[in-house]
Amino acid sequence: MLPQRADVVIIGGGVIGASIAYHLAKRRIEAVLIERSSICSATSCSCDGFVFMQSKKPGIHLELALESAKRFETLEAELGAPIEYENCGGMVIIEGSEEIPAMERYVKEQQEIGLDVTLLDKHEARKREPALSEKIVGATYSPQDSQVNPMFLTFAFIDRAKELGARVFTDREVTAITRTGGREWIVRTGTEEIRTALVVNAAGPFAPKIGRMVDLEIPITPRRGQLLVTETLPRLITSIFLSAKYIAAKFNPDLAQKAGEGISIEQTASGTLVLGSTREFVGYDGCVTNEGMATIAARASQVIPRLNEVHIIRAFAGLRPYTPSGLPFLGFVEGLDGFIMAAGHEGDGIALAPITGDLIAQLIASGKTDIPLDAFQRGLGTP
Amino acid sequence: MTDPDDDVLICRCEEITLGEIKEAIARGATTLHEVRRRTRAGMGLCQGRTCGTQVARIIAEHTGRPLKEIMPATARPPVRSIKVKELGGEQHCCPKERT
Repeated sequence: MLPQRADVVIIGGGVIGASIAYHLAKRRIEAVLIERSSICSATSCSCDGFVFMQSKKPGIHLELALESAKRFETLEAELGAPIEYENCGGMVIIEGSEEIPAMERYVKEQQEIGLDVTLLDKHEARKREPALSEKIVGATYSPQDSQVNPMFLTFAFIDRAKELGARVFTDREVTAITRTGGREWIVRTGTEEIRTALVVNAAGPFAPKIGRMVDLEIPITPRRGQLLVTETLPRLITSIFLSAKYIAAKFNPDLAQKAGEGISIEQTASGTLVLGSTREFVGYDGCVTNEGMATIAARASQVIPRLNEVHIIRAFAGLRPYTPSGLPFLGFVEGLDGFIMAAGHEGDGIALAPITGDLIAQLIASGKTDIPLDAFQRGLGTP
Repeated sequence: MTDPDDDVLICRCEEITLGEIKEAIARGATTLHEVRRRTRAGMGLCQGRTCGTQVARIIAEHTGRPLKEIMPATARPPVRSIKVKELGGEQHCCPKERT
């Protein structure tokens, strides 16, 4: 049974909700997390484990990611559970010479913000990663990119949060949020209800549904990413890869309608390779498609030809919470006292989870945050 | 509480033991899905075809939940593993062979 009341109610048991629950528990702030299914059962369990700095927009987005990356270094010790974090370095693979000028510009902007990133020619790139195709043109490399097991990360946050006193309720779908006569919210889940001064919407791609319960229009759209998993292989690549086309598709939604414009490749701690990803706007349809799978397979083998002889053992798809600005919505919502947004990270939820949880906990604890959240509130509207 | 059977391998592909599955259940996993995400049991080459039923029975035994609520974990394509070049149709990689 849900308790009668809590200081904070978090909606959503993905990596963002779990991180917020942990960071609040660490500050001894009483929180209840409500999840409609089970912990880590939607977006956070159907994604890759990239903690990729190079794919972030130079500016506040990259600053946020760098701050998050710092926390990853000590997170495993802090949470006391394995999260398979590896500071493996990352490459953006350039397959066409026409992409070079844009990447040169992009690298320069990133360097100005303080990212350690360099442009490599084909030979330098292949020296570092011999599995790369002879046909690539070059690559950028950053030693600051890392990978993590997204599911282990989510469970590590939630388990530690529970040990520190957070209460977690699964299999409960929030059906209504109303105001009491006073300053409290009542969050209902079917037959149960809980009162709280603060509601945190961490429902990822489903955040707009929660928003509508309080007449808040949240411009988050589900964007489907399909991925493939290979059989276990001896170490084939050491860093994680994104194609330069992926970066273009990420920041240009027109390009992204086509499946597999860009490719992402990582080899996980268990030795499987995760190949992704499509970026499709198909509503809440989380299925894989033959076209999507075929495109990823074809594109991945262009980057690493040896993949052709490797077996695919699984395909899956997840919905990412896309926002028009490319930035998540974070912080209090103007005109809605006690309603906090923490959703819309699209494909950056894993990478940004540590900093997101900390910032929301700071906001709740003191009303202030180390990084100003103004940029993360634009575009939200109450009618 | 240690059980001598805790070292028994349940998921052979990923080498996950009974003890690890019991720990996942103790931490709150109540379905095949959740045990899979927490332990990797059923994520290997056979995709749980060998251990799936056994894991489900372990969950049923420790949670008292009926088997039908525990099974199945979502079956993901492909049904049998398939080479990347077969799936991708070698669309771009071997132009010489495409006449």
